Amino acid sequence: MSDSILVYGADWCGDCHRTRALFDQYNVAYTYVNIDEDAAAKAKMLELVDGRNTLPTVVFTDGSIMQEPSNDELLIKLNLRPAADETATPVVPEHDIIIVGAGPAALTAAIYTTREDIETLLFERGVVGGLAAVTDKIDNYPGFPDGVAGLTLADDLRKQAERFGAVIELGEVTGLKTQGDKTLVSSTSGDMLARAVLLAVGSDYKKIGVPGELEYYARGVHYCATCDGAFYRDKKIVVVGGGNSAVQEAIFLTRFTTHIDLLVRSKMRASDVLQKDLQKFVDDGKITIHLNTTTDEIVGENNSVNKVVITEDGTKKDLAVDGVFVFVGLEPNSQFLKDTPVELDEIGFIKSDDRMMTSMPGVFVAGDIRAGATMQIASAAGEGATAALKMREYLEGQPHPIQN
Amino acid sequence: MPKNVTIFTTNTCGYCQMVKKYLSAKGVGYQEVNLDEHPDRQAEALALSGAMTVPVTVVTKNDDSQEVIVGYNLAKLAPAVA
Repeated sequence: MSDSILVYGADWCGDCHRTRALFDQYNVAYTYVNIDEDAAAKAKMLELVDGRNTLPTVVFTDGSIMQEPSNDELLIKLNLRPAADETATPVVPEHDIIIVGAGPAALTAAIYTTREDIETLLFERGVVGGLAAVTDKIDNYPGFPDGVAGLTLADDLRKQAERFGAVIELGEVTGLKTQGDKTLVSSTSGDMLARAVLLAVGSDYKKIGVPGELEYYARGVHYCATCDGAFYRDKKIVVVGGGNSAVQEAIFLTRFTTHIDLLVRSKMRASDVLQKDLQKFVDDGKITIHLNTTTDEIVGENNSVNKVVITEDGTKKDLAVDGVFVFVGLEPNSQFLKDTPVELDEIGFIKSDDRMMTSMPGVFVAGDIRAGATMQIASAAGEGATAALKMREYLEGQPHPIQN
Repeated sequence: MPKNVTIFTTNTCGYCQMVKKYLSAKGVGYQEVNLDEHPDRQAEALALSGAMTVPVTVVTKNDDSQEVIVGYNLAKLAPAVA
């Protein structure tokens, strides 16, 4: 028995956050126990629940316990809603800011908003850190003279945002709807309201759209070198693309492969510095560059790839290979916005005004997904910071005190 | 709670981190097979998943049935370890 409800949780636990937000909304007094910071409390909790290590664990003043309760179950338990009354409108949790995505733009925005005590929830359906997290090495993000591993940068950005109280929910946002002066966000964790929304959903690697590409997906056709490269130890592969990602990832893949053919549709577009790096591998005979070369078909048998058909300078030929890695640019992750008023450009990137607001009031955009973005991690971080300040202005209903 | 969870990973794979993070958040213990450290077990991962990718998560349920989840796929992972 205790004189206050205890909520055992952790900062990374989305359901804990939801539970606390519900209690706050209903002015239910509770004590939050962060089990990551209090080993004794964690042990006590595990004792209470026979070792069922699930969060949140809510201990009520009558001694009863609920683990991972839904909002409905909590309200019924607290007599805040009659159990039988099915006509009651469900209570929708409310947040100051919901950020869709948790890549560099999203996490930077969250660092800014949470540091100003604006409560912020992020949704990530894939990797926290986004495409940056699956990039082997990032050489052009300022502040890292020797470059930084994508995973390290992603993890540090996450830690920095979480330090100020940002909460990352592992789930997916499926729709947006204006409701009064707020936005109703539908997600895999249920519906919730936000006073402002930031779309920072980024982009994903584009497919080339040739026969065999879908059929051999993950069985010889790959879009993530850091994930799948290890399967090509002592093998021969092609990398498709001539931009920064293609060159960077081809260089990464040389640590596994015996030889790489780099297939470039027209001419190299990678930065001079990367091209210089690449040249070393060309000189060592580890990479061969094929310019003016299209990849026409990926061929294989028994569930694995054995050749690609290419056209080099107008001549069709076969290349015997074990795998194909594709880095031919980025496509926007905006499919879920199709039925919303958020206006997209013809490719699917999100249009915005000079406040970084979309055509939907209170819904902002930053990073790769914004029409006109430069697809750089440094720019994404900058846009995240700008969007955060613009959202604050919007929430305060007044311009920033420091005028430019 | 499943009987056993084994994840095949590599050092550089971001999606592998996410699977581990999710399982830790749910209090599910797991064994990790790092293919950079144990390249000899690559064939095992490939045979289980049919795909040349990591993460591959093998969930052994209490009735000894197995579910293999390829990639970081919350829609499959969440119910499999519930």
